[in-house]
Amino acid sequence: MAEFETVGQSVPRLAGAEKVSGRVAYLDDIQRAGLLHGALLLSPHPHARIRRIDTTAARAAPGVRCVLTGADFPHRYGGFVRDEVVLAHERVRYAGEPVAAIAAATLEQARQAIALIEVDYEELDAVTDVDAALAPGAVRVHEDFERYGRRNIAPLPPNVCAHTLLSEGDADAAFAGCDVVIEGEFRTPAQVHAYLEPCSALAEVEAGGKITVWSACQSVFRVQATLSEVLGMPMSRIRAIATPVGGSFGGKSDVTVQPLAAMMALRTRRPVKLVLTRHEEFLMMRTRHPARIRIRTGAMRDGTLVARSVHLTLDGGAYTEDSPAVLGFALLMARGPYRIAHLRCEGLAVYTHRLRAAGFRGYGNPQVSFAGESQIDDIAARLGMDPVELRLKNCVVAGDTWVGGQRIEAAGLRECLMAVRDAAARRPTVEVRPGYRRGIGFSAVAHICGILSTSAIVRVLEDGSVTLNTGAVDLGEGAETVLAQICAETLKLPLDRINVAPADTDGSPYNWSTGGSRTTYMVGRAVAQATVDARDKLLTHAGQMLECSATDLELRSGGRVGLVGVPGMEVSFHAISQRAHWVAGGPVIAHAAVMFEGGGFDPKRTLLSGNGIGRLGAFIFGAQAFEVEIDEATGQAAVTRAWSAHDVGRAINPAGVNGQIIGGVVQGIGYALYEELVQEGGASTNPNLADYKVPGAMDVPRIVPIIVEHPEPSGPFGAKGVGEPPIIGVAPAIGNAIRALTGVRLCTLPFSPQRVLDALEPPA
Amino acid sequence: MVGFHKPATLAEALALLADEDARPLSGGQTLVPMLNQGVVQPSLIVSLGRLRELRGITRLAGGAVRIGAMATHAEIATSTLFEAGQTLMPRTAVQIADPAVRAAGTIGGSCAFGDPTADWPVTLCACGALIELASAAGRREVPATDFFQHYLQTELQTGELVTAVTIPPLAGRGVYRKFARVYGDNATVSVAVILDVDVDVAVEAGRCRFVRLAVGSVGPRPIRLTAVEDSLVGRMLDAAAAEAAGAALAAEADPLDDLRGSAAYKRRILPRLVQRTLLEGINP
Amino acid sequence: MIDITLKVNGSEQACRVDGMTTLLTVLREQLLLTGSKRGCDYGICGACSVLADGRLARSCLLLAADCEDRAITTIEGVAEPDRLTDLQQALVDAGAVQCGFCTPGIVLALEALLDVDPKPDETAVRTALGGNLCRCSGYGAIVDAALKVAHG
Repeated sequence: MAEFETVGQSVPRLAGAEKVSGRVAYLDDIQRAGLLHGALLLSPHPHARIRRIDTTAARAAPGVRCVLTGADFPHRYGGFVRDEVVLAHERVRYAGEPVAAIAAATLEQARQAIALIEVDYEELDAVTDVDAALAPGAVRVHEDFERYGRRNIAPLPPNVCAHTLLSEGDADAAFAGCDVVIEGEFRTPAQVHAYLEPCSALAEVEAGGKITVWSACQSVFRVQATLSEVLGMPMSRIRAIATPVGGSFGGKSDVTVQPLAAMMALRTRRPVKLVLTRHEEFLMMRTRHPARIRIRTGAMRDGTLVARSVHLTLDGGAYTEDSPAVLGFALLMARGPYRIAHLRCEGLAVYTHRLRAAGFRGYGNPQVSFAGESQIDDIAARLGMDPVELRLKNCVVAGDTWVGGQRIEAAGLRECLMAVRDAAARRPTVEVRPGYRRGIGFSAVAHICGILSTSAIVRVLEDGSVTLNTGAVDLGEGAETVLAQICAETLKLPLDRINVAPADTDGSPYNWSTGGSRTTYMVGRAVAQATVDARDKLLTHAGQMLECSATDLELRSGGRVGLVGVPGMEVSFHAISQRAHWVAGGPVIAHAAVMFEGGGFDPKRTLLSGNGIGRLGAFIFGAQAFEVEIDEATGQAAVTRAWSAHDVGRAINPAGVNGQIIGGVVQGIGYALYEELVQEGGASTNPNLADYKVPGAMDVPRIVPIIVEHPEPSGPFGAKGVGEPPIIGVAPAIGNAIRALTGVRLCTLPFSPQRVLDALEPPA
Repeated sequence: MVGFHKPATLAEALALLADEDARPLSGGQTLVPMLNQGVVQPSLIVSLGRLRELRGITRLAGGAVRIGAMATHAEIATSTLFEAGQTLMPRTAVQIADPAVRAAGTIGGSCAFGDPTADWPVTLCACGALIELASAAGRREVPATDFFQHYLQTELQTGELVTAVTIPPLAGRGVYRKFARVYGDNATVSVAVILDVDVDVAVEAGRCRFVRLAVGSVGPRPIRLTAVEDSLVGRMLDAAAAEAAGAALAAEADPLDDLRGSAAYKRRILPRLVQRTLLEGINP
Repeated sequence: MIDITLKVNGSEQACRVDGMTTLLTVLREQLLLTGSKRGCDYGICGACSVLADGRLARSCLLLAADCEDRAITTIEGVAEPDRLTDLQQALVDAGAVQCGFCTPGIVLALEALLDVDPKPDETAVRTALGGNLCRCSGYGAIVDAALKVAHG
């Protein structure tokens, strides 16, 4: 018997038919009368002084309507450190930093005019990796750092933009008492988001001066707030609208080209569209933080994990942006999903003359999990224990606490571990070709889905159908559909009676951002609450119409309210809403606002200093297993089978959950085996999709998603998030398989054939 | 502004291409990305699309196969005209890039570009192919081993076009093995083998009657050592002999340190890939 | 500038291009057929895919002026108006459509495959997708949809 009508069903994605027929308008598909086109000039140098910019010839070029340089953007901005400008002032700090922008009647004219801009650079010494940046006497990326506005004003060493320390118990003392202590240093590269749709924005100014900016973004509110800062205009004069997004994964969570498009529209009073080329994407847009993770884990002979210490260094690139948040979150997750009482996690986010680093699916967790989950297997090997057994012995369960003291309400981690272990054990045996080896590796994953605030508005339209306004942006992961399902289920309405309005700061109530695996859980909670409130209002109205108490009424499928036990006694939503609009009570409008109030740090338990860590929680867990085949002649590793189990609380749309799992795992395979933005002296050597390899259909096997459901009491219908966990445990699980096959722990990503061959046949 | 012509005759095309700012367009899979990125800025593009004499694959009396320069990789991959050792050609074609590139890219365009990490140069050298060039002054044929000279440098002069590639009759069967980072990538190391053996299954070896062996992506041009080939003919070709052949080629290799691996790594794996490919030629 | 006539989705379209204008640019900006996407302009991502004389082609690598003799089919012309092909419906049903940006190119790659090989196996499906990048889905549901159409 189906408990629900739509929750739990793999209902087809909203707008699916439009997407398969090419009828969805992404930003670059939008046309406007009188549209101007933008083009950019990017710095070729990682660090230089701009002695002079001469735009005279560019301004006179055919079709050109405006030319912008740093002088046009006097305000510095930045959520944690106000160190950034939209166009470089007198200093460029990474190769690819935008220096000028032009709007012209055609794209060709804009590009031709860009070529006419003369910039006189004085090249300066650059620090292009963290070691160089942290060396004594190193060139400072931001000489004026102490003068910038900062959220956290504690002094920091040169070229450091954030520092956080987190500790519980006494790790140093505890290590001394351990039977086994393993130490290691791990390194991870810059991974490019490589969403298929390049960053883009279209800005238009109304006669009255209010500006509207359409863009592919993860948060219309962040766009609005940042534009307000950068343009010096109040938010009430700025409208940000999200167009359908062609993939994001964190790369569109901060502003991208919106400020440039906006300023060009303000200057020209014409609509302006700015779309990055893929080459510009590689140069100017952000990557995952490259990281160095020094980690020690201590255990007793019986397999009890006792202590862990982690030192994390993140390369944040030339501007701070969200690096302090990524740092803090990574340190919060660095313990791993285990009951480890003694913990010391410390980290730095470092300035370098490199392109910026941003949140990317996992937000620092993939880096620390690569180290942590690799080291768990090393401990198991040292103790002669099965690596899954070691994890099962130590893993957190419902009722345990996370770092800081937050209680874990529901945790299906044990079930996930056993599910992947059993699935891997049941795999059919295959004859391995001579010269090849195959083996399995495992990992456990923990992440969060509760953070910051959100809201929802439910409006019952005159005919009894519903419009749902939230600030959620659907990036392709299926948020719109899930939220509609929550609303539909709560009102027992068919899904096609729910209109999900697109994210628009004019009409949507605030949502922090689509990201952090939080939409189903956080926005879903707001939608559920608001819909319950709408339901209650409908029942109240119906009670008046049926002349009975609202408590004697029930919702009936298809938009009706009836008297319990009396099938014939009912009124439709249509009738209720008509009465509300025209007779009594006023339109049925409900809303809810939700802030994540869990998380936090019990000061009696946890020492937290430096940049700190926000209030995060609602833990989500998973486990992964990968069968890896190595070619002994070349060292090439390939994933031949994969299983990824995730406790999602409740799968509101199982097909959507499976899509997130498979997609995240494949991104993780890319991170583990193929992807690295390579730089020499601050210049990228592979800034295109031919040389930066993203996995294709032939490079990955069938991924088997496994859904585990331990309902989360605070989640809508018990649901929790799943967006990020699938990428997090892939690299360490593959590394664990390689270790099992070669006896060698590879500590640097990606596991290129050369690195694996060196593990198989250590150079003399 | 870039001009565009699509001449009806080869003579017209050659006349237009005498200007060094003009570029010929065949499949576009190499030229157009360069145009899109602004890497090349020709004044004129000369499409070869109407030149029927550059199309088609024909088997000549005597067993050679003449491939028009505009034949696509897909056409070569599915052609049944290649026999015996010539099967190296379709076996190579099917591993080039991906279906869309194979449907449009041409063998002439690939030769003219002269990228030694691509697939045709090494295979054409193994085949002992002849590259036919035409100019206003007439035609000439150049052996593939002389045609591919250095990174993106070929025998082609200004005003010359590749018009055909001829594959001589070749005994045995062909095997093309491409080791790449991911599907569709250019080769990290490639091995092209044509092999005719008297197979003795019991010892997993065969007496070699005819062999051609070339390796690609490990230097500015494909490497083929006729001395190595000659030394294998008449001998029992087993794993040890195969590896020795590979080692000889590796000694001549001069690969680059690049995204696909270091020079040392490529030299290290080359003999193993040669061995594996030769053994596959013996025991498919 | 050159005046050309292109055959797109069965109708003749007059366009004005220069020598290096790509078919993708003409489709999107002059013919307002924006279903073909510009993902890289390099011929790698496949989001611009069209059919040229029934064969899969990258519109970002075709010069418009060179296409006068070819019949071009874009995503807009794959199905009858307001209808979906079996493959398109299967992709929706399988949950294979996430952000949708790669989807038109994927549809064309698979339609081109099924045209010559109506019953491909999984390897043939993945090979046919070898030139189409999808960063969202991990390809699993896309392959499932194609196999469902092929084998039921």
